[in-house]
Amino acid sequence: MTSALSATDLGKRYGRKWALSNCSLDIPEGRVVGLVGPNGAGKTTLLHLAVGLLSPSVGSITVLEQTPASSAEQLGQIGFVAQDTPVYAGLSIAAHLQMGAALNSTWDAQLANRRIHDLGLDPSQRAGRLSGGQRAQLALTLAIAKRPSLLLLDEPVASLDPLARREFLAILMEVVVDHHVSVILSSHLVADLERVCDYLVVLAASRVQVNGDIDELLSTHHRLVGTPRDLDNLPDTVHLIESSSTDRQTTVTVRSVDPIMDPAWSVESLTMEDLVLAYMSQAEEQRRDLVRSKGGEP
Amino acid sequence: MIRFAWRQFRFQVLVVTLLLVAVAAVFLITGPHLAHDFAELKGCKANGDCNYLDNAIQNGSNKIDNFSTALSLAFPALLGIFWGAPLVARELESGTYRLAWSQGVTRSRWIISKFAVVGLASMIAAGLMSWMLTWWASPIDTLNANRFGSVVYDTHYLAPIAYAAFAFGVGVTAGVLWRRTLPAMATTLVVYVAARDTFDLQLRSHLLSTLKVVSKLSRSGGYGFERTPNGLHFLVSVGSLPNSLVLNAVMVGKHGATVTSQWLTTNCPKLIGPPPSGRTRVGIGIKGGGTAPKSFSQCVDKIAANFHQVLTYQPASRFWPFQWIEGSIYLAVGLALCAFSYWWLRRRVA
Repeated sequence: MTSALSATDLGKRYGRKWALSNCSLDIPEGRVVGLVGPNGAGKTTLLHLAVGLLSPSVGSITVLEQTPASSAEQLGQIGFVAQDTPVYAGLSIAAHLQMGAALNSTWDAQLANRRIHDLGLDPSQRAGRLSGGQRAQLALTLAIAKRPSLLLLDEPVASLDPLARREFLAILMEVVVDHHVSVILSSHLVADLERVCDYLVVLAASRVQVNGDIDELLSTHHRLVGTPRDLDNLPDTVHLIESSSTDRQTTVTVRSVDPIMDPAWSVESLTMEDLVLAYMSQAEEQRRDLVRSKGGEP
Repeated sequence: MIRFAWRQFRFQVLVVTLLLVAVAAVFLITGPHLAHDFAELKGCKANGDCNYLDNAIQNGSNKIDNFSTALSLAFPALLGIFWGAPLVARELESGTYRLAWSQGVTRSRWIISKFAVVGLASMIAAGLMSWMLTWWASPIDTLNANRFGSVVYDTHYLAPIAYAAFAFGVGVTAGVLWRRTLPAMATTLVVYVAARDTFDLQLRSHLLSTLKVVSKLSRSGGYGFERTPNGLHFLVSVGSLPNSLVLNAVMVGKHGATVTSQWLTTNCPKLIGPPPSGRTRVGIGIKGGGTAPKSFSQCVDKIAANFHQVLTYQPASRFWPFQWIEGSIYLAVGLALCAFSYWWLRRRVA
């Protein structure tokens, strides 16, 4: 099994600020990966490193087993839809397709034309006059028609209204099924990803908090509810993610491969959103602890 | 990639092409007339007074000449501002570089193609403008015999092509560093004008070591006396050697002596008029006899007898070496700026 994206101790620094650090990942091919995290968590940085728009400050990253942007062939295997789906405002849709054809040796003109036709877009229209949804569709068309092995999409639906959002994701899923591409899709909204992804990467505070197959993640994470008690007594195989207590009960989110048998706890399963939120608040807490230990302002 | 670079650049090319066509039309209409007048002038100079024709050429063409010269002087700068500066800055500013650099073309090739297409187009456009003006203005230039003057030197032959390469380099570099179009355009204008000015005023005359010519005081040029609080001074205008670049003219006597205030006071006592109030000039540019006071011409005679005029200059024959040398310098700097931008885009941007 080759990996779609593999990173080792990857980090990117701007001045003294780390946008991404200690990132080690190995995402297998053939998955639809949701890259989730709050704004500013490093999602765009990671994707830009994967496309080769950025180069790492430390560590290494390979995409489809090759260094990003190392050659025209490598670039041709990656379809990238950047945040806010940039297109040339002054060029027509047809000119964009011509660009795709001129710059990509694997360009599938038939596919591109058919998609524009199916979307009901007029090829002579200037891209600057398209709606946000149409622009996103144009950007997706450009990324798909080069017949990539891996599609990287940076918050493609963030600026779309709910209807356009659903439409975009539906078309994306069609593409995945039709062309067997791997997809890495970033979003700060779990709801966008829930329907389409089968693999999850949670990025928060510039670090990867958790990653893995979603079904596997959901089956190994549990929410335990019980009377207040000392959490140090949890078995070694149970890894604490997050806890919250009131006077009458304690709720903890844990990761455990083995089922939790302790009758003192009532065990609930997690939704993807619960899981993501648990890791995000863990990251936020760690960040606060770090700031506090350094004596800075939180 | 070259085709796409050209496709993105089409509109800007159209605008400049229209401008060049308009200039060509004006030149084609007025050019033959100008050449005809000039031919007549040549024929007439053989037998007498031709001032009326001389004036006709100068006056008839003046407006067009002034306008086209101003346009030609500004043209390389305009290309740098409107073609060079936005070339990368607009992509970085609008975020479309993320689209461009994720196509199946390496960033190196993208940069090189862009630079090559727009850089060469700039040089070709500047070359066309220069060629048209050189052709159209040739009668005027022959008449004025001042090829080293910036009106001719800066707008004719090769120099404008190199200026365009330089302006393009400045524009691209400003765009790459600013990553925004408008500040890049403004920076291009300022840097280009400052660089050209400095070069014109400080460097050009020293591109090759100067020649000196020693002669008797030329009575055809302007000369005169000036009285300042520091005393009396004799002034010689640099005069003119046809098509040469004359840098200065000084009077030198035995053992390198110069015409000092003391010498003038001793030898031309009558020249001293009423006490000076600020800078007072006592006759200047009066060509011998006639209206000039006798003391004036007597003193000039004395100077001519005791001193030689030394002209420091670059001869007319160096026009082409100068164009080549200056052109190479600007071209090299332009290329260096492009190379820097290439490196910066590869290593430092995004």
